[in-house]
Amino acid sequence: MFKTTRRGFMIGCSSAIAAWSGGLNFTAFGSAADEPNQDIVIVVFLRGGMDGINVVPPIAGADRGHYEAKRARIAVPLSGQNAALPLDDRFGLHPGAAALHGLYQQKLLAFVHAAGLTSDTRSHFDAMQYMELGTPDSKASSKGWLTRHLETAPGAPAQVIMPAVAVGNQQPTSLLGSQESIGMTSPNDFNFGGHWKYGDAQRIALRSMYGGGSWLHAAGVQTLDAIGVVEAANPGAYTPGNGAVYPNSGFGRNLQTVAQVIKMQLGLRAATIDLGGWDTHEYQGDSGAGYFSDKLNELGKGIEALFVDLSNDNGACHTNRLTVVVMSEFGRSFQENASRGTDHGHGNVMIVAGGAVNGGKVYGNWPGLATDALYDRRDLAITTDYRQVLSEILINRLGNPNIDQIFPGYSGYTPLGIMQAAGTTPICVPVSPGEPTPTPMPTLNQRVYLPSVRR
Amino acid sequence: MSLSSHTTKPDHATDDASSPQQLSPSRRDLLRRGAVAAGAAAVAWQPHRAQAQEPAPVAAMRSPNRVLTFAAAGEPELPPLEVIALNRIAFGPRPGDLASLMALGATSEARLQAYVEQQLNPAAIDDGACDALIAAQGFTTLGKSRQQLWADHVIKDKVSWDERMQPARETRAATFLRALHSKRQLVEVLAEFWHNHFNVYGWDSWSAGAWVHYDRDVLRGNLLGNFRTMLGDVAKSAAMLYYLDNVSNTSAGPNENYARELFELHTLGAEHYFGVASTVGPGGGYLHPAPKGPDGKPLQYVDEDIYSATQCFTGWRIHKDTGEFVFEDAVHAKYSKIVLDQNIPSGSGQQDGEQVLDLLANHPSTARYICRRLCRRLIADDPPETVVQAAADVFYAQRAAPDQLKQVVRTILLSSEFATIWGQKIKRPFDFTASLLRAANANFAWSDSFNWRYEAMGQAMFSWRPPDGYPDRKENWSSTMPMLQRWRACNWLLDGWKMGGDGADKDNPRIDCRGQMPATITTPVEIADYWIDRLLGRPMPAIERQAIIDFMAAGRNPTSSLTDKQIDEQLRLMVGLIFNAPSFQWR
Repeated sequence: MFKTTRRGFMIGCSSAIAAWSGGLNFTAFGSAADEPNQDIVIVVFLRGGMDGINVVPPIAGADRGHYEAKRARIAVPLSGQNAALPLDDRFGLHPGAAALHGLYQQKLLAFVHAAGLTSDTRSHFDAMQYMELGTPDSKASSKGWLTRHLETAPGAPAQVIMPAVAVGNQQPTSLLGSQESIGMTSPNDFNFGGHWKYGDAQRIALRSMYGGGSWLHAAGVQTLDAIGVVEAANPGAYTPGNGAVYPNSGFGRNLQTVAQVIKMQLGLRAATIDLGGWDTHEYQGDSGAGYFSDKLNELGKGIEALFVDLSNDNGACHTNRLTVVVMSEFGRSFQENASRGTDHGHGNVMIVAGGAVNGGKVYGNWPGLATDALYDRRDLAITTDYRQVLSEILINRLGNPNIDQIFPGYSGYTPLGIMQAAGTTPICVPVSPGEPTPTPMPTLNQRVYLPSVRR
Repeated sequence: MSLSSHTTKPDHATDDASSPQQLSPSRRDLLRRGAVAAGAAAVAWQPHRAQAQEPAPVAAMRSPNRVLTFAAAGEPELPPLEVIALNRIAFGPRPGDLASLMALGATSEARLQAYVEQQLNPAAIDDGACDALIAAQGFTTLGKSRQQLWADHVIKDKVSWDERMQPARETRAATFLRALHSKRQLVEVLAEFWHNHFNVYGWDSWSAGAWVHYDRDVLRGNLLGNFRTMLGDVAKSAAMLYYLDNVSNTSAGPNENYARELFELHTLGAEHYFGVASTVGPGGGYLHPAPKGPDGKPLQYVDEDIYSATQCFTGWRIHKDTGEFVFEDAVHAKYSKIVLDQNIPSGSGQQDGEQVLDLLANHPSTARYICRRLCRRLIADDPPETVVQAAADVFYAQRAAPDQLKQVVRTILLSSEFATIWGQKIKRPFDFTASLLRAANANFAWSDSFNWRYEAMGQAMFSWRPPDGYPDRKENWSSTMPMLQRWRACNWLLDGWKMGGDGADKDNPRIDCRGQMPATITTPVEIADYWIDRLLGRPMPAIERQAIIDFMAAGRNPTSSLTDKQIDEQLRLMVGLIFNAPSFQWR
């Protein structure tokens, strides 16, 4: 279990602070030799049900025929300006995600197809809760799977200032019940905003008032601690490194916050970011273009920028200890609907990127798209439980083998081979900025005529 | 639930007096207007603690299950019933509200009953002052008909973005003003509830242009009326038809978005979702797999119900020229359907969808789901089953009554659970902001700079994208970001530089603390106790009160008078601390 030093820091008696005062240094929180779990996981949750079949569509064989028949208008074509980018001899990548293709070719990124939550539900809200609690078919847990990871990680350093950050306004369910995570949008804005003269006295009063024992009091103290940590680190305005260009969107800014926190060397181990807008019931975009393409572009450009930014931080290769996992609550119906969109489905694609990923490959046991092979004769079936992918990251890279505690009731884990083994140090792959094309964001005009494309 | 249950309930004031943390000897004293909490004088002066270093940590703060369990220490005391009522039936008390409520009867129970009846009959409440205030804003869309809104703000040639958004913007500003000034507070509380229940993102062009209709006619027009009527009006509103895509739901290409959320969020609720399961029985015929109620009908729904209902709603659209609901038979699926084991014969046209709404609105599972959500808003995050079931029984029994929802709300507000549960919920940002501005008697005017601070707290109005509405549980509002933004917004509202501001700042909310405090109140203890009573209507736990006094004293003797300059410099900040204290967050 991670032991935060935020409290110790606040009252100025922690040894970690001595290390701090001499300049921020990651080794203050343990060295590679005596600490097995310096790796960082960034969980990107795509809210609304991402259309995985169109992210990684079939490009050959009978499934290509099924695909073009069922998705006459929205199918990603094989030729022309918006042709699918080849991944292997079976699958291509949506051209909107071209930025991810570069990482794939550098073997920093892999896909797991026909993955997801096996629960029999097509409800956004049920599916998200099951997935993020890590307990399919049950909402009884008061803690998310990342919370349980942070609590059960063995051999964690004695002192970590900021082990987890939830970037955004809302803390996701995966961090439910976590007392060590900090929710924030940007470190620059994460300050108390108190009175110029009485600001300290205001905070002292708040700390007194929130000194009781209820959950609300604990939440107040946690917030005061977090303010203290972030303010002490004095983050300032952030300039991405290596010419990285993040999308000019909330998602792009949230990714920058993660990069900034990683570079602040506060011992970050886990971060969560949400990206909404995937509930594409209507006009998701024909023939590899349109709204869905723009959305993928935002996702891809964002992840690419993160790798550009972090692959060389004054010589430090943060991407080597970074694993980004992209998931969504379910995929979408195989058959497109009359509104040129797709409805709630089942199986999906997961994206895993990082220095320790055995990238450049599409993983998973492909069930096929013939009607008899579909889940409920309707949706892509699931052959890889999402927990299998997360477990491999947890065991191989995050130093936490306590899968039975993180995912209670989950059994039969076998590795896909998507992550390099524990203890191996990946070769650092420098990532340079891709095509300097601006990120097309949905314009005002598009919003006017696409009222329904939303989470 | 009868009021008689209250007579056996322990007296709040007795509870208070028996607690070492409480200062007030009786509720009557507490509620005597202008009185300073009686315990004030008993606090002896102590040397001021050093402020250079923050207090040592409290060992109990890292209890292992912060989110879903309650530590014994620090759990809030049950406030007087009148305070509970004004914090849940209204957006907190304005100055004088507690006194008015006290005048409504001889006992707490009688006062609550009178207040509830008053609030359940809003037409009988004179709201002229609030109406005049809103009239003075120069809004132009709030009185427009559905057709006029459509003509002026949706389909008008070259309609600008500002014109499209205007009805939603004016509704938003009016909603704040009503929350602060309307005497029909229960209407405002329920309007927020139903906006959340039938959530629509308000800032898309189709919804924003017709927003006044959705807010005024569809939701407010029905919130003390009949649920089936409201459900039908929602289903036929431009806002919902576009938001959940039913406008493009046709026989040739069904779009299930509306039908799914109709089941999952609007009526039966996800708690009654049986999951993905076949409706084909062993013999090959129709067999609904969900458990059955006493009438033999399924208590839960499966995906097949959603797909069939989707067919029933094909052709439910909006007339492009008028903005009115229209049924287009040409794109309607004509064959027969089965929804929840109910046969819907072919050839019924619009009645297909109406029958689905009938089935759902009159379903006992809907009664439970709607009532659970109402109780969650009005009582606790996890309301006891007893009150949920009591309300659901009324909901179901009165399903044909034109005042069905009024009866349901009355049942909840007069339940013993309403009166005896407190602190199992915190204010959401809208509750917090409205109650702060009400308690402070702020000279509030809408401004973009205010909205900017407000929205940072995470509950931007009409802005929740997914169809489930803003979460209504404490864990969603107590992580570090919402907590920090709440404190920051309060700091901004109470910052002194806006006092009497002019120029670009003239529209910002102004709170004149000094002018509202009697000149005879001059010591830190007196000042703290005056404002604690004034803003909370009850004493604070000793630990919170002491922190307020310490802040105001700033190292000086807390029972000696402060100078005018000292009061001016710190008073507003001290008031802000009371708003940021735990006591002000409970609901």
